[in-house]
Amino acid sequence: MQPDFMKRAQLRTKGNQYEDFTVGQELVHHWGRTINASDNSLFSTLTLHFNPLYFNLEYAKAHGHPDIVVNPLLVFNTIIGLSVQDLSEMGGPFLGIDNMTFHKPVYPNDTLTAVSTVVDKRASSSRPKTGIVTWHTKGFNQRAELVIDLHRTNLSLMRGGSI
Amino acid sequence: MKTQTLTGNDNYFEDFVPGTVIRHVRGKTVGDLENVLITNLVMNTAQAHFNEHAMKDSSFGQRLSYGGVNASLVIGMASQDTAENALAELGMDKIRFTAPVYHGDTLYAFTEVLAVTASDRADAGEVRFKHWGVNQNDVVVFEGERRVLIKRRSHWSSR
Repeated sequence: MQPDFMKRAQLRTKGNQYEDFTVGQELVHHWGRTINASDNSLFSTLTLHFNPLYFNLEYAKAHGHPDIVVNPLLVFNTIIGLSVQDLSEMGGPFLGIDNMTFHKPVYPNDTLTAVSTVVDKRASSSRPKTGIVTWHTKGFNQRAELVIDLHRTNLSLMRGGSI
Repeated sequence: MKTQTLTGNDNYFEDFVPGTVIRHVRGKTVGDLENVLITNLVMNTAQAHFNEHAMKDSSFGQRLSYGGVNASLVIGMASQDTAENALAELGMDKIRFTAPVYHGDTLYAFTEVLAVTASDRADAGEVRFKHWGVNQNDVVVFEGERRVLIKRRSHWSSR
């Protein structure tokens, strides 16, 4: 027996589906994220990423950096993460990434934000109620400098589709 | 700080020969620490990666490890051999997620050296790698190319 509040509750959905995307459309993603030194150490050690630039401050300084360098793969994951609600949360597996460039180093306490543009969409020939969408996603630091850009492609559910 | 004693001596720019294929020594089993922690840390809001209950009704039947985590683990497992003496990661391309990864799967990394080219700095060169991630059943779950700026031994091995 469901409690009464559950029967009265209205589901607040998040995100977009295939039909919501238009080629050329720009999506400014939510939240932003300040990268802390601990985020970087945790990410680099959990992924076994053994370049001392990401976890040895004195080594990073000896290579001309003002601080420990944030692992570019954490930058990549954070920028994608910020874009997920707008682009892919409604479902459809992540297919791939092309032309990803790391433009500038990111340091602890830098704040990242993400913006995407829809570059391509088409219906899947093999999966019903499913499309394939490609976005150009850019990540910026707090000085509005481009730190990363990439092209991401996902399966994207049409209305009534399911994974 | 003397830096050269902190990193290996078999992975400078001069050591990479196109065509070489490397099997990296360590694998890692994917669990909550890898998938859920990193997915949440980077604010990926897709609950397919962290809601086991919701995924029971999907065609996958369980949580999926996030592709960004799988890619990062594979590059990480390849890093001691391909990034320990890197000055910078330059970019990646042709990344494909070719099979799902579930909690409990174990990933391993393989790398082929595709090309070595001079850079505009005298003390380093650019190496292009192809990486593969495979699971415990030798199924390829990830592949992608990566460009890295790596120190030259000639300039860095005595610093």
